[in-house]
Amino acid sequence: MKNWLVIVGREYKTRVRRKAFIISTLLGPILMVGFIALIVLLSKSQESDSKILVIDSSEILSYNIEDKGQVPSCLECFPERDFLEYRFTTEGLSQEEFLESDYTGMLEFDDGILQNSKALLQYETTPSMRVKSAVKSDLTEAVERLRVKQESNLDYETYKRLKVKIGLVTQDVETRDKNAENKSLVGWIFSMFMFMFIMIYGMHVMRGVIEEKSNRIVEVVVSIVKPEALMGAKVAGIGLVGITQILAWAILSWALFIGFGAYAESSGMLADIMAESGNTVSATDLNTFMKSHEDLGFLMQINWIAMIGWGIFFYLGGFALYGSLFAAVGASVEQESDAQYLLLPVMLPLMFSYMLNIQILEAPETTLATVCSFVPFTSPITMMVRLSMGVPWWEVVISALILVATVYLMIKLAGRIYRTGIFMYGKKPSLWEMLKWLTYKNR
Amino acid sequence: MTTQQLLALSLREVRKQYGDHVALNGVSVDVPVGSIFGLLGPNGAGKTTLIRMVAGITAPDTGEVSFFGSPLKQSDIHNIGYLPEERGLYKNMRVGEQALYFARLRGMGKSEAEYELKNWFERLEVDGWWNKEVADLSKGMAQKIQFIVSILHKPKFLILDEPLSGFDPINAQRIKSEIKRLRDENGTTVLLSTHDMSSVDELCDHVALVNHGSKILEGRVDVLRENARAGRIDFKFRGNLIAFTAALGASAILHSVSSTSDHVHDMVLGIPPQTPIEKFLKWATQEVDVLSCSPKIVSMDEVFLRAVKKTES
Repeated sequence: MKNWLVIVGREYKTRVRRKAFIISTLLGPILMVGFIALIVLLSKSQESDSKILVIDSSEILSYNIEDKGQVPSCLECFPERDFLEYRFTTEGLSQEEFLESDYTGMLEFDDGILQNSKALLQYETTPSMRVKSAVKSDLTEAVERLRVKQESNLDYETYKRLKVKIGLVTQDVETRDKNAENKSLVGWIFSMFMFMFIMIYGMHVMRGVIEEKSNRIVEVVVSIVKPEALMGAKVAGIGLVGITQILAWAILSWALFIGFGAYAESSGMLADIMAESGNTVSATDLNTFMKSHEDLGFLMQINWIAMIGWGIFFYLGGFALYGSLFAAVGASVEQESDAQYLLLPVMLPLMFSYMLNIQILEAPETTLATVCSFVPFTSPITMMVRLSMGVPWWEVVISALILVATVYLMIKLAGRIYRTGIFMYGKKPSLWEMLKWLTYKNR
Repeated sequence: MTTQQLLALSLREVRKQYGDHVALNGVSVDVPVGSIFGLLGPNGAGKTTLIRMVAGITAPDTGEVSFFGSPLKQSDIHNIGYLPEERGLYKNMRVGEQALYFARLRGMGKSEAEYELKNWFERLEVDGWWNKEVADLSKGMAQKIQFIVSILHKPKFLILDEPLSGFDPINAQRIKSEIKRLRDENGTTVLLSTHDMSSVDELCDHVALVNHGSKILEGRVDVLRENARAGRIDFKFRGNLIAFTAALGASAILHSVSSTSDHVHDMVLGIPPQTPIEKFLKWATQEVDVLSCSPKIVSMDEVFLRAVKKTES
């Protein structure tokens, strides 16, 4: 046992202190967050101020004042914005005139807008989402005000108070889980990481085994500990490297998220975003913001502790399963390039469950998804998606038990291939030969 | 070999088969305590299989392996040092760290291992290399590190598979003297597998020769040599060649002759086992002017070749 820990320690230490590992661990979340921030910043900075010419040919929303020209009848409907400016007119420009002018867009409607609620925005360069949504909400308010005035004797404030907007919450009657379809996205991200880490660190196991085999270090080590123990120690050590990276990423991302939240709180950005999206809750702290935001609110409903806890469990199980297969492959060849044809059968179930996830995202409760969340070769990946959407606890436990039992069996079987393979030199074994090694009892 | 002699290692009718290939076919070998035991044989003779069995890497299909009188068990590995033939080191570790890793794997405490390593690094003049990358080591340098790693835990029994390959003559000499010192000062028993017959001549007191999975020769080096000499002597004299050859008659057999001048001749003579060399010399001095006379020196090379040839024919 002591020897075993010495080996685990070596496998872990030599990898964790590599520059590549440290850099990717520290930079991973920073890069991800930075990348998103960069996109946001770029899209904002590229956005030049918009100047829109509103062509109100039937003077529905504007009227003419001498000296000033055409002005909107409802001034507060078209407020001053730093990125958007309106000019009103009754006569449209020709295409040539528009292209020569400094207007970025031409908004055109006639009295039909009161019935069909449609307006045409012509542009020279595609307007940004922000401009479009601002124009839409400005125009909506102006038309609404007009219609309320024309067709009722309410004042606009009363109308606004009476207006109803229904939000649809979906709930599973069994699990009482709400908005599961959004949550499955989180599960999908978890399973993507699961896939990625099993692949990357599985390859580490294979390379490590090949290194020891090709430089014959394995002979010395195996004279001290049993081959199966060496294989197990290798898988365990490298699996821990994966866990370290995952945890580091989780903690760093969390810190970045909290840090960003604090910044957004203090700069009033949260309140701005809420106001802009027309939300009635005025959120000044991150928690309220997240809870009341209609696209992000589901993040707060996810049971993160269960997700991370089970995530680590399924990662360890899945890694032990695939890691020992990667080790068996590594033991059977002398150089990495020879391993390709043996890797295919190992990677196939992994790839399959990864692709299956897209299917599950669309239709979460298919029989295939349920079955795959129990099959040990696919369950680490498939179960993560189901977990995020809510799944009866006993299903998770059964799946976990099946996984543990299979891991035990697989370490035994892969261990047999491993201990035979590491002393085979010279010829590339076929899959059939490797299966025969399973029956070799004696060392 | 007398049965009273203490045996460090004893293999009894050991057999090992890989698929259709019989690697060892009922081999018995006895390694006395405190000996440097040469395990000889052509490539593919079964030496590596035998060594792996002693190192605990493989187990025999049938037969017994006993270690200091009792059956070989897993815990014996702490008393065994093993230097495999084609050896390497981890590329991504520093030299000292790596040596420490293997020491700890063999159950040594960290401070004890560090202390011993420092001593050995100084002894073999690699002390400046502690923090170097393995990739920067020359082949001989890496060999030294591996040698140190295999003996650091002071094993009672040391298995060295081709320990001298890759060394320049100066360092090879140094390693040889370290091996001898380990036997003389620590009482270490050494199982030495090699193709290098000169090192067998120099180091080994016992040898076993395996070929095609069977042992074809085993014994003390001096006895084997004496047997292979088969009564031959080197004889140099000044005098008449034809007259002396005629005079030899039945008292000795002439194997070969070469003449350095008209009067000085070198002969290899075979004298019957019952004739002491002094008696022959006494007779010869009456016939010719004897310049030198000594038992023929048979190298292990020759012993080896003769034995292999004999079994193959």
